[in-house]
Amino acid sequence: MGRALEREDQALQARPSRPPSTLGYGGSASFIWVVTTGRASVPAMGFNKPTWTPGRERRAVSEKHFRQLMRLRARSERSARERVAVRQLEGSLVSLAALIGSAVKDPDGRKVGELRDVVVNWTATTAYPRMTAIVVRTGKHDTLVSYRWIEVFAPASVRLHSARAYARAVERRSGDVALAHDVLDHQIVDHDGTQIVRPSDVYLATIHGRVELVGIEVGLRALLRRMGPKRLRSRVRPQRVIDWGSIDGFAPRPGESVRPRGRRASVAGRPGTGIELDGTAGEVKHLRPSELQAALQRAETPRGGEPA
Amino acid sequence: MTAVDAPAARRGTRTAKLPRWLKGLLGLLAILGPGLISANAGNDAGGILTYASAGSQFGYRTLFLIVLITVALVVVQEMCSRLGAYTGEGLGALIREQFSLRSGAAAMVLLFVANAGLTVSEFAGVGASMELFGVSRYIAVPLALAAIWGVTVLGNYSRAQRVFLVMGLVFIAYPVAAVLAHPHWGTVASNLLWPHFVHSNAFLLLSVALIGTTITPYMQFYLTSAVVDKGVTPATYKAERIDTVNGAILGDIVSIFIIIATAAAIGGSGPLNSVSQAADALRPVAGAAASQLFAFGLLGASLLAATVVPLSSAYAIAETAGVERSLASKLREAPVFYGLYTVQLVIGAVVALLPGNLVSLVINAQVLNGFITPVLLTYILILANRRSVLGAAANGPVFRAVATVSVAVVGVLSLVVLAQTVAGWL
Repeated sequence: MGRALEREDQALQARPSRPPSTLGYGGSASFIWVVTTGRASVPAMGFNKPTWTPGRERRAVSEKHFRQLMRLRARSERSARERVAVRQLEGSLVSLAALIGSAVKDPDGRKVGELRDVVVNWTATTAYPRMTAIVVRTGKHDTLVSYRWIEVFAPASVRLHSARAYARAVERRSGDVALAHDVLDHQIVDHDGTQIVRPSDVYLATIHGRVELVGIEVGLRALLRRMGPKRLRSRVRPQRVIDWGSIDGFAPRPGESVRPRGRRASVAGRPGTGIELDGTAGEVKHLRPSELQAALQRAETPRGGEPA
Repeated sequence: MTAVDAPAARRGTRTAKLPRWLKGLLGLLAILGPGLISANAGNDAGGILTYASAGSQFGYRTLFLIVLITVALVVVQEMCSRLGAYTGEGLGALIREQFSLRSGAAAMVLLFVANAGLTVSEFAGVGASMELFGVSRYIAVPLALAAIWGVTVLGNYSRAQRVFLVMGLVFIAYPVAAVLAHPHWGTVASNLLWPHFVHSNAFLLLSVALIGTTITPYMQFYLTSAVVDKGVTPATYKAERIDTVNGAILGDIVSIFIIIATAAAIGGSGPLNSVSQAADALRPVAGAAASQLFAFGLLGASLLAATVVPLSSAYAIAETAGVERSLASKLREAPVFYGLYTVQLVIGAVVALLPGNLVSLVINAQVLNGFITPVLLTYILILANRRSVLGAAANGPVFRAVATVSVAVVGVLSLVVLAQTVAGWL
């Protein structure tokens, strides 16, 4: 079945503009058409004789079948386009799920600690929330390390600029959101309290030299990836992404009468029950990989006066 | 909430014209109704046959177990509805958030296995009850499968659910049957109050089956999601708690009467072999029609549970994965939800059609549930203990101690029986 459709597809590509007919297309079609309709505008000479070409045999194609074929072709073209986009994105997207638990190394390649969380903050000036710090765990101790001292590489690794960076811990500011703590696997609700999604991954990318939160994955494949072997976990393959640029604002959603206590309310912030978006569920856009790529390219192009 | 209450209030004024005795009866039903119905929904094919088997095999000696299980059930269900009311999320989602994605996935796999087992036992219940009516299970079970799938996916689910519920109400006949059978009330009382162990593997295995069928994993997930769907908030939680506790206790009272009625009728005659034997317990009420009455109730209870159990696990898994999950959505919009639902129904029907004794199949499914219950209970206990999840509503020291002991006892018992079963295979 698949091969037959493929052959028809090829034939359709050869003459896409021809209208559907009950007789079919191909080298022989025009001849038959001419002969049976009696409109002999083309002289029936030798070059117009029906010739048999391998792979060009045609069955009669009904209008309905024709439309189905066109839809199939559009779908295969789209999926090919998406595959290309996914491959191109793989080099630039950072997966939070893969990043969590990875080793944080100093310039000499020595392991300093384990990455526990990524903290972002949203100021009104940028399209996407910017990473402000990471939470590094050494032994049993969590430290917030400012974005200034680290470099993040796609798909999932972090390195410190200098060994001394570690000593310069920063304070957590209001409005900071700890992504692993508040966003990944937690529900995201809109202004009315309707649950929109439960992110299966969170994507970061470097835009204008700063690491920013660009989108959250809502596809099921990311879940399978995270449950699979560790080696495959850093293979970032966006599937269905919510563009963070389409969201106006968000705030950690405080749990009802939840009071932080003990280790769980550490530097990563107090636990909430997900985050709440400004706006309603209807405004949230789901992007395919190619659309995500386009959005990222738009964000990367220099805006008025700002250096790229 | 007010929109829902308004018609109920209007209906309330209409009953004022009814005769006094009917008004009293309606009032009593209004108080007991919701709890009774939800409790009865818990008494599915697996429950009824397991209780009946307990009564026929060990007489009144399992009664003290039911009392202990009731305490555990009340504690567990209270934690579940509290988690639902305070977090607004289902258990699967909470496990994924609070532990890890892998723990959530593991819990979901366990729930799926437990519920697939339950679905098997429900279809076995359908087959067994139709055999009492003289219809072969090879006709009844495929028909039931088609009917259930059609009604839920294409038809009106809530209406069908109500019909099944009313059919299942037949089992309220059990308390009457128990009284009419003139049991030795003294023995009953002493068995209820004082543990009467029987030193045998069969007794232990049946205890696990009783735990599995009373503290069903599916019930906990279903309850939490139902509380969330009802929109219960911390402010309105008090009423919900009364409802939950009532439901658990009422359900177990019916279970106790099933055991008493069966023990009085056929107690000591060994393990239950056939469904018609279980129906004998209703003879004091229905006489010659006992078999038909029992079959009718069993059919309703089985059909209801065969719909609800796979639906609830499909719902829980879809919620944990964070995908579309509603009977209101189209097949193509919620492929995970409908796919899981259908797969479970088909597994249930196919296994129930394999040749063999339906009653022992049903009880084995309950034992499987009994093995899985403690694992899921541990998750629930840890979640309800965490102040970071429930804040001030987290378990207090006394509650925590009672809940921990309950879960530990259930766990140890399952482990012992599991070890014995595995040792028996070797």
